[in-house]
Amino acid sequence: MSNGIKILFGAVLGVLYAACGLLQVVQAIFGTMESLEALFIPGNIFSGSVLLVIGTVFLTGVRKLSIGTEEGMPFIYVGILFSVGIGLVELLALCALGADAYLVGEWADWSAADAVNPLLYLAVIGVLGLLAWGKEFFRGARAA
Amino acid sequence: MMEGTCPLALLAAGTEAKVTDVRAGRGMQARLLGMGFCPDARVTVQCADRGSIIVSVGDARYALSRGIAMKIFVGIAKGSA
Amino acid sequence: MTREIRIALTGNPNVGKTTLFNALTGSRQHVGNWPGVTVEKKTGKVSRNGCEFEVVDLPGTYSLTAYSADEVIARDFILDEKPDVVVQVVDATNLERNLYLTTQLAELRTPLVIALNMADMAEAQGNPIDYRKLSGFLEIPIVRTVGTRGEGLQDLLDAAVKEAKTSPHHEHTIGYGNEAEEMIAKLTDPLSADRTLSGKYPLRWLAVKLLEGDENVLAKVRGGAASARVQSILSSINSDEYEATMADKRYEAIAAILPQVHRTNTRGTTFSDMVDRVVTNRYLGIPIFLALMWGAFELTFTVATPFMTVIDTLTVWLAEFAVASIEPAWLGSLIGDGIISGVGAVLIFLPNILILFLILALLEDSGYLARAAFIMDRPLYALGLPGKAFIPMLIGFGCNVPAIMATRSIESEKDRLISILVNPFMSCSARLPVYVLFAGAFFGAHAGGVMFFLYVLGIAVAIASAKLFRSTILPGEVSPFVMEMPPYRLPTAMTSLMHMWSRGSMYLRKAGTIILLGAMLVWALASFPYGVEYGSAESFAGMLGHLVEPLVAPLGFDWKVAVALIFGFLAKEVVVGSLGVLYGAGEESLTDALFADPSLSAATALALMVFVLLYMPCVAALGVIKKETGSWKWTGFAVAYGIVVAWVLAFVVGHLAPFFIGGA
Ligand SMILES: Nc1nc2c(ncn2[C@@H]2O[C@H](COP(=O)(O)OP(=O)(O)OP(=O)(O)O)[C@@H](O)[C@H]2O)c(=O)[nH]1
Ligand SMILES: [Mg+2]
Repeated sequence: MSNGIKILFGAVLGVLYAACGLLQVVQAIFGTMESLEALFIPGNIFSGSVLLVIGTVFLTGVRKLSIGTEEGMPFIYVGILFSVGIGLVELLALCALGADAYLVGEWADWSAADAVNPLLYLAVIGVLGLLAWGKEFFRGARAA
Repeated sequence: MMEGTCPLALLAAGTEAKVTDVRAGRGMQARLLGMGFCPDARVTVQCADRGSIIVSVGDARYALSRGIAMKIFVGIAKGSA
Repeated sequence: MTREIRIALTGNPNVGKTTLFNALTGSRQHVGNWPGVTVEKKTGKVSRNGCEFEVVDLPGTYSLTAYSADEVIARDFILDEKPDVVVQVVDATNLERNLYLTTQLAELRTPLVIALNMADMAEAQGNPIDYRKLSGFLEIPIVRTVGTRGEGLQDLLDAAVKEAKTSPHHEHTIGYGNEAEEMIAKLTDPLSADRTLSGKYPLRWLAVKLLEGDENVLAKVRGGAASARVQSILSSINSDEYEATMADKRYEAIAAILPQVHRTNTRGTTFSDMVDRVVTNRYLGIPIFLALMWGAFELTFTVATPFMTVIDTLTVWLAEFAVASIEPAWLGSLIGDGIISGVGAVLIFLPNILILFLILALLEDSGYLARAAFIMDRPLYALGLPGKAFIPMLIGFGCNVPAIMATRSIESEKDRLISILVNPFMSCSARLPVYVLFAGAFFGAHAGGVMFFLYVLGIAVAIASAKLFRSTILPGEVSPFVMEMPPYRLPTAMTSLMHMWSRGSMYLRKAGTIILLGAMLVWALASFPYGVEYGSAESFAGMLGHLVEPLVAPLGFDWKVAVALIFGFLAKEVVVGSLGVLYGAGEESLTDALFADPSLSAATALALMVFVLLYMPCVAALGVIKKETGSWKWTGFAVAYGIVVAWVLAFVVGHLAPFFIGGA
């Protein structure tokens, strides 16, 4: 029952991450597209690859779950952790860049929009997953 | 009863088995025995999808390269589990 | 009590020996959630209730038959130094294997106390141990401890005092079965003739060890009074067989006790196993590792920027102020141009370095480090190193000195030597200032990519050199990879921050000592002989620089860079410190001063970064290389090889770069 929700969640997040990742990498190689910049998907080969990795973790989990092996569950959980962790890193980076712009007096020219990217906002969905199933997952961690 | 023995390296992930023999040569042998790979110890292969494997012995988990895993012989326990 | 009691902490790897040692003595030795953290013996003192204790922390070992260099240290200390009490630290969540070592220690008849550590974990898993009962069975005092919370320390010391006083000790014997016992009896007879040996070690223990084929004991017997007879007995047997059967008997004896003191059913699939399925997955393992590295990189370099800006502004302002207002002028120059600019140029990077160390601490404390070694085993094996060699490489990102020490847990001597020789190519935190400075000055928005390239280049050179050494001067088989995978633990903020600080404060201390010294030296060289213009070509610094310049001129470096490189040998941060001194204090920061220098271009900057990455280990690293290899030949080789590789690659990069940067 709850597996169905997790599969759906993993599939949605997996596809989003993988798609954004692909778009970032493609843009980094073939030049940026304006329509995507409006969606805050910049061209960047590094963060694009990270997005792809996270997406693949989710999708691997979904594939395993859909063929009926419980083995897929850890992939969904670890994917969520990964998504939230990297999202946190991006959030810190964003704050740091803002603070630095303020300190060197370029605050007026600075816009948070330049630094926003999918790693940051997709993590919001990851946080929802963590809130929903985090306890279940970490119960094992405390005893282990 | 045992159903013959084979090297630990050949087991699939999730298989439980019983060590029958360790032939790893001076030094390494003592290390492996100290880690719990001694005759009759129960081991479970946790992960076997790359060159090396992760095996559990009791509550400990060890990474073993295939070379070493070939030198630990196990029998797959039948009916005794 | 008048006498000091000497306690040795021993036990399996990663059971919490160092944690207990730190709690007992108030030391700050390095702790981490992976086997092989401690590779040397460390001593500390405590006094409790009028009793003086000397506590010795030892590397972990699985048995008294040592295999790797760190295990030899642990064994030799127990055997030869004869501590008053041996405290075996036991992991309560893994009793069976831990007690195997106990059976060996008991045979040695040293006064023994067991610290049942990680008791909190065993209890949380719903598997508490009836340690009083266990103590009764083993006839060894047992104290429940929780190292991380400092529980049970007083009881442990009390038990140690009591045990040290009760001597001589009775023997806890394990019967090894008729056949083995017969052999043991046969061996004890000639052994008792060797007075020196039998005075030092229990006869039964010697016989058991000989039967197991222990090389170390064999060497002790050789040449003694018992040598000939013992060897004739041993030549008729197969010690591998005996070793296995005797181990079997020990485990049997343990298995007979365990069900009576706790629930012995092992847990099935744990949280750690679940995580491992994902992070060690055949296809995803390495990508996940790289993605995590990217996150670490982002944190180290981006998150630190506002803090750096603050420190930078502060030092520039201070230096200017000192030059302008301190009389006499030469003193103002020493303080402003020399000390503040030199040390300040290095201090700016404290935020990066603290974050880097925090990340390394998280990596070590979580347990992921051991997985990284596992994941990299296959690629490294193909290049001629065991996966375990990856751990020192990662530690090298912090500092090459502890990293080179960490190679002690690599079993084969050749593998270890290769790991030592390639470790200096791993970009340590001291080189980070050079990259941030030059990449920031010359590559603007692409600074991140450039720095990433340098780190990757370091790894690539290390790996390529390993392959080269393996196929030329150090041929041989890669030693097999056997390593415990510790359970994942959530690192607590406190411990990780403390680890960060204990390493980060070393950077500060370095800034206050060797870097300060280097800065003052360079300032003096730049100011004298008396009367020359500060930092001009006529100063001593200028002369020295011009002397060396021809060697580095093909790389595009001028004399100032040459001077900085020479003093960078003291510590790589001094490269930046010296440049800070040579470019002196102005209203602009060092970044701007470098950018404005016409003799430096983006291509030269890149060549310089490559050169600094590779050129030679610093004094401290050379010291450990000498200590760990025990040979001046290899130490010299490390220097020569590094310089040649650095020169060639810097030359290539410097001359190819213009084609990529568009002549910028
Ligand atoms: N929960 C819990 N964790 C502990 C306890 N003692 C130590 N640890 C953790 O166990 C890990 C290993 O601790 P160390 O003190 O480095 O172990 P060690 O025996 O010195 O390890 P080596 O030097 O590698 O042989 C660390 O992550 C500690 O935080 C304890 O009593 N309870
Ligand atoms: Mg230790």
